[in-house]
Amino acid sequence: MTTIAIEQPPTAGAISNAKLGVWLFLASEIMLFATLFTSYIVLRLGSTSWPWGWDALNVPLATLNTVILITSSITIVMAYAKAYDKDKPGFQSWMSLTILLSLGFLVVKAFEYSHEFKLGIGPHTSVFYAIYFTMTGLHVIHVLGGILVNAGLLYMSSRSKHWEHPLFLGRVEGAGLYWHFVDIVWIFLFPSLYLL
Amino acid sequence: MSHDHSGSSSPSFREKYVFSLDHKVIGLQYLITSFIFLLVGFGLMMLMRWQLAFPGSPIPFFGRLFSAELAPNGVMSGEFYNALGAMHGTIMVFLGVVPLAVGAYGNYLLPLQIGAPDMAFPRMNMMSYWLYLPGGVLMLLSFLMPGGAAQSGWTSYPPLSIINPGQTVWLLSMVILITSSLLGSINFLVTTINMRAPGMSLWRMPVFCWAQLVTAVLLLLAFPPLEAASILQLMDRVFHTSFYMPKDLVLLGQTYSGSGGGQPLLWQHLFWFLAHPEVYVLVLPPMGIVSEIIANNTRKPLHGYKTMVYSMIAIGVMSFMVWAHHMFISGMSPALSNFFLVTTMIISVPSVALMTCLVFSLKGGSIRFNVPMLFALAFIPLFAIGGLTGLPLGLTVTDIYLHDTYYVIGHFHFVVVSGSIIALMGGTYYWFPKWYGRKMNDRLGLIHFWGSVACMVGIFSPMLIMGLAGTSRRLYDPTAQLHNLSTQGLNVVSTYFAYGLALFQLPFIYNFFNSMFRGEKTPENPWQATTLEWACPSPPPHGNFPSTPTVHRGPYEYSTPGRVCDFWPQSEPPSEDL
Amino acid sequence: MNTHATQSHRPDVRMSLLTFGALMALTLVTVVVSKFHLPRPQAIALGLFVALVKASLVAGLFMHLWGEKKLIHKFLFVTLACAAVLVLPLIDSLLVSHQLTAPIAVADQRPVGSGH
Repeated sequence: MTTIAIEQPPTAGAISNAKLGVWLFLASEIMLFATLFTSYIVLRLGSTSWPWGWDALNVPLATLNTVILITSSITIVMAYAKAYDKDKPGFQSWMSLTILLSLGFLVVKAFEYSHEFKLGIGPHTSVFYAIYFTMTGLHVIHVLGGILVNAGLLYMSSRSKHWEHPLFLGRVEGAGLYWHFVDIVWIFLFPSLYLL
Repeated sequence: MSHDHSGSSSPSFREKYVFSLDHKVIGLQYLITSFIFLLVGFGLMMLMRWQLAFPGSPIPFFGRLFSAELAPNGVMSGEFYNALGAMHGTIMVFLGVVPLAVGAYGNYLLPLQIGAPDMAFPRMNMMSYWLYLPGGVLMLLSFLMPGGAAQSGWTSYPPLSIINPGQTVWLLSMVILITSSLLGSINFLVTTINMRAPGMSLWRMPVFCWAQLVTAVLLLLAFPPLEAASILQLMDRVFHTSFYMPKDLVLLGQTYSGSGGGQPLLWQHLFWFLAHPEVYVLVLPPMGIVSEIIANNTRKPLHGYKTMVYSMIAIGVMSFMVWAHHMFISGMSPALSNFFLVTTMIISVPSVALMTCLVFSLKGGSIRFNVPMLFALAFIPLFAIGGLTGLPLGLTVTDIYLHDTYYVIGHFHFVVVSGSIIALMGGTYYWFPKWYGRKMNDRLGLIHFWGSVACMVGIFSPMLIMGLAGTSRRLYDPTAQLHNLSTQGLNVVSTYFAYGLALFQLPFIYNFFNSMFRGEKTPENPWQATTLEWACPSPPPHGNFPSTPTVHRGPYEYSTPGRVCDFWPQSEPPSEDL
Repeated sequence: MNTHATQSHRPDVRMSLLTFGALMALTLVTVVVSKFHLPRPQAIALGLFVALVKASLVAGLFMHLWGEKKLIHKFLFVTLACAAVLVLPLIDSLLVSHQLTAPIAVADQRPVGSGH
C-alpha cells in the first residue's frame, strides 16, 4: 500500500468535491455563529440594561473595518477572475491586496482591543463586553485562518506544479467562498454589537 | 483514476501505518484506538462500581495506587468518584463509541460499499484521526490536573462546571475532538454524494451507508452549537466572563466575583442541542451494521428497505427537535414541555418502524446462526428494552419522578451498551475477514457473546429497578439516602456482573489479535454477501477495486427468484443464470 | 479529468463592482441612522434588515448562490431550518419559561434529613 492520495473525478454534472466540501463546512460555521448570536440575544434580552454601542465601543474604527472587509471581498473576487483567466501576475496582485486588507483589519482590531485593555476593560467587565470580546475574537481567529489560506494560495501560485493543477481554480473559489462568509459574519456582527 | 505518483517506490513504515492517507488504514487506526478508549472508560467504571457496591471500603489492589487526595487509605473520595463518573461518560461517548461507529466502521466500509477508491479528501481524513488521538490523550491527561479531572458530569452544567477543577482541559479537548468530527462529517458527505460508482444510485446503497449519511448530517449541524457553548464556558473559566454565571451567586458563603448577568440554563440548552442528536449518532450506525448482518444471514432481502431509509431520515430530522426532554424539570413552562413531549413521542415512531423491519426481515429467512448473527439478533430485543424504557422518561409526568434516578442510567446503558456496543462487536466478527483476510475463532466468539449479553443484562436491569425505587444518580455513597438501603443489594449485583463483563472481553481481545496472524484464512467473500465491499480482495489494496465497479442491482439481492445461486452481488454483470 | 470550464464561470466584474457600491452605501446609511438614536425595537429591526440585505448581496453575488446548483440551496435551507430550531425554542425557554431574576443563593452543604 502506498500513501498516494487518489483523486477521482466526481460524477459528471455534479458539484466539485472542493466546492461541496467548502459549502458543508460553511453550513457548520453558520450553526456555530448562529449559536453565538442566539446566546447574545438571550443574554441581552435577559438583562436589565444594555449599553449603547456608540458609548461603549469605537464605532468609527469598526466602520473602517467594515469598509476594509467589504473591499477585501471584491478584491478576492477579482483574484478569482484573474485565476480563471490564467493571469498569474493579476491573480497574485489581487490576492496580495486581499491579504493586505485583511492584515489591515487585524491592525485596526488590535488598536481597538489595546485601547480597551488600557482602560481596564476586558471580557470580565460585563456581559456586554464578554459578548463583544468573544464574538469579535472568534471572528478575528476566522480572519487569521482566511489569511493563512489566502497566503497559502498565493505561495502555491508561484509554483507551476500547483498553478497548472486543474483543481487550483477550485481551491481559489473555495477560499473565496470562505472569505465571503467571514465578511457576512462581520456584516451581522458590526451592527449587532456597535450600532444597536 | 489519476494518481499523483511520488518518486519513491516503497513507502516507509511511517507513511504506511502512521500517517497513511488510505481510508482503510485510518479506519483500523480508529478501531484500535477507540477499543482502547472503551477499555479505559470501562476501567474507570469498574472503580466506581466498587465504591457503589461497598461504599467506604478500600478498593482492592488499586486503592494503594492512588494518591491521598484521590483515595485516602484506598477509599475513593467523593471528588474522585465524580471525576470518574464524568470521565467515564465523556470517554465512552466521545472517545469510544462514536469514533468506533463512525471513524472506524464508517471510514473503512463507506468507500468500499459505494464503490469508491477512497474518501473524497484523504488528507483531511488523516487529519481527523490525528486530531482525535491527541484530543483523546489530552482528555485523559486531565486526570493529572491540580484538583483532578473534570468532575461535573459529562453534561458539565454550570455554575458547578465553572468553579470545579479539571474542566478547562475537558473543554479544550472537546474543541479538538469536535474539529476532528466536523472534518470527518464533511468527508463522509462529499464522498457519499460525489463518489458513488456508476449505477450506485442512492436507493441502491446499503442501509449502512444511509445510516452513515444521516449520522454525518447530524454531526455536521449539531456539534457546532456545543463548540460555541464550550467556548463560552472556557471564557467563563479562563477569562472570568459571566456567560453562565448569574448575578449575585453565593458559593459557600462568598459572593462570586464575576460580573454576573449570565444564565446557567443557556448551557443546558446548547449542550443538549448537540447531545440529543449525539445519541442517535451512537445508535444509527450500529443499526446499519445490524441490518447488513441480518440481510446476509437470512439469505433474503431486508424487509422494508425504503421504510428503513425513510425512518432513519425521519429520526435524523426529529432528533433536532426533542432535546429539552432532558430538561423537563429545569423549570420550563408546561407549554414548552408539551412541545418537546410531543416531538419525543413522534420520534419513537420511526425507531419502532426500524426495529419492526428488522424483525420482519427474519420471517421466512434461512437463518445462519454464526457469531455475527448472534450479536445482530441480540441487538433487537435488548435495544427494544432500552428504547421502551425511554418512554416513561419522554412523558413529562413520569419523568418528574424518574429524572436523575438510576432508571435513566439503566435506560441509556441498555440502548448504548447492550444495543450499540453489541452491534459494533458483531460488526467486528462480520468484517474481520475483510480487514485481515482471516476469520476470528468461533468458539471464543460464542463465549464472548453469551458472557457479554448475560453480564450486560445483569448490570443494567438492577438499575431500572433501583431507579423506580427512587435512587438518585451520581451518588457517591448510595447508602447516604435512607430509602436506598432496601435496594443497595442491587448495587452489589451490578458490580459483580460488571466485573464479569470485563472478564468476558478477554477472549475477544485475545481472539482479535491472535486471529490477525493465525486465524483461518478466508476467501474474498466468506459470507457470500452481495454488497460491494465483498467484491474486492481481503484486505483490499490501495484503490480498493482493480477497476471502478459498475452496479447493476440493489444491495440485498438474496434468493432472487429464478436464480440457482442464493445471492447476486451488486456489481456482477447482468446476465444469465448461475 | 474535469476542467474548470464545466464547473464554474468567470465572475461578472461589473455586477461585482455595483454590488460593492451598494454595500458601501448601505454601510454608510446604517452608521448614520444609528447616530439618531431611534427607539430600540425600531433601530434593531432596521439594522438587522439592512444587514440581511447586505448579506444576501454578498451571498447571492459574490458567493454566487443565485445560480448555484440546487443541492447547495437545499443543504443551506436545511442548515437555516436547523438554526431556527435552535434559536426559537431557546429564546422562548430562557425568556418566557424560565424567569431569571432572583439571585441564586446556594446554601452550605448539609446532610439531607429523612423523608422525601
